[in-house]
Amino acid sequence: MSDILKLSVPGKPEYVGMVRLAISSLANHAGFDIEAIEDIKVAVSEACTNVVCHGQVGFCSSYEVDCEIGNNKLIISIIDQAGGYDINNYKEPNIDCPKQGGLGVFIIKALMDEVIICSDIGTGTSIKMVKYCK
Amino acid sequence: MSLQIQSNYNQELNKWDLKLEGEIDLFTASKLKAKIEEAYEINQSNIELDLTDLNYIDSTGLGVMIGAYGKMKENNKSIILLNPKDNIKKLLSITNLDKVLCP
Repeated sequence: MSDILKLSVPGKPEYVGMVRLAISSLANHAGFDIEAIEDIKVAVSEACTNVVCHGQVGFCSSYEVDCEIGNNKLIISIIDQAGGYDINNYKEPNIDCPKQGGLGVFIIKALMDEVIICSDIGTGTSIKMVKYCK
Repeated sequence: MSLQIQSNYNQELNKWDLKLEGEIDLFTASKLKAKIEEAYEINQSNIELDLTDLNYIDSTGLGVMIGAYGKMKENNKSIILLNPKDNIKKLLSITNLDKVLCP
């Protein structure tokens, strides 16, 4: 049976670092190596940053970080009620012409083994990320 | 979970040396942006960021560096990163930013 942890986090920049620390500790506990812990830490942090940055001001007072420690894998979902966005509008960054935005989701997809993003316009977004313990 | 920046202008080589220590994320990226802009306003010279003691950076921090790179390129100036740790090297490589920021 898998263990489940849930964090409810205020939608403010100063708490992203705290989530990062908690996730690192959890990934370490789940048996991941240093490089994988770093990957998970960065991906989760990017997902939290997305919520805090792009959530509608005054709408997303908090978001949820759900973690499931399964058999040789860690599943993390970042769930917000920040109003959602049109995921079809997301464009991968052009690596030959670097721009300031749009790197977050690109980095998450590069570092995690599975990434599923669901967004409901008017409601919120969830990013589910899976990392396998090799 | 903080960021310290030491800035020093090298008169001999006409460049800024900025030494970054700690973590750059959504919370601290604005501090980096302000420091780079402040330095560049005083002296429009090349900027070298020493990352020896930088433990973490995310897309917000990388975005600040890309922004500075674009602005400085217009004036034929460069911003380069020195001594990134392995975890930061990985991010720079994934995003291909090593090609422009770590020549």
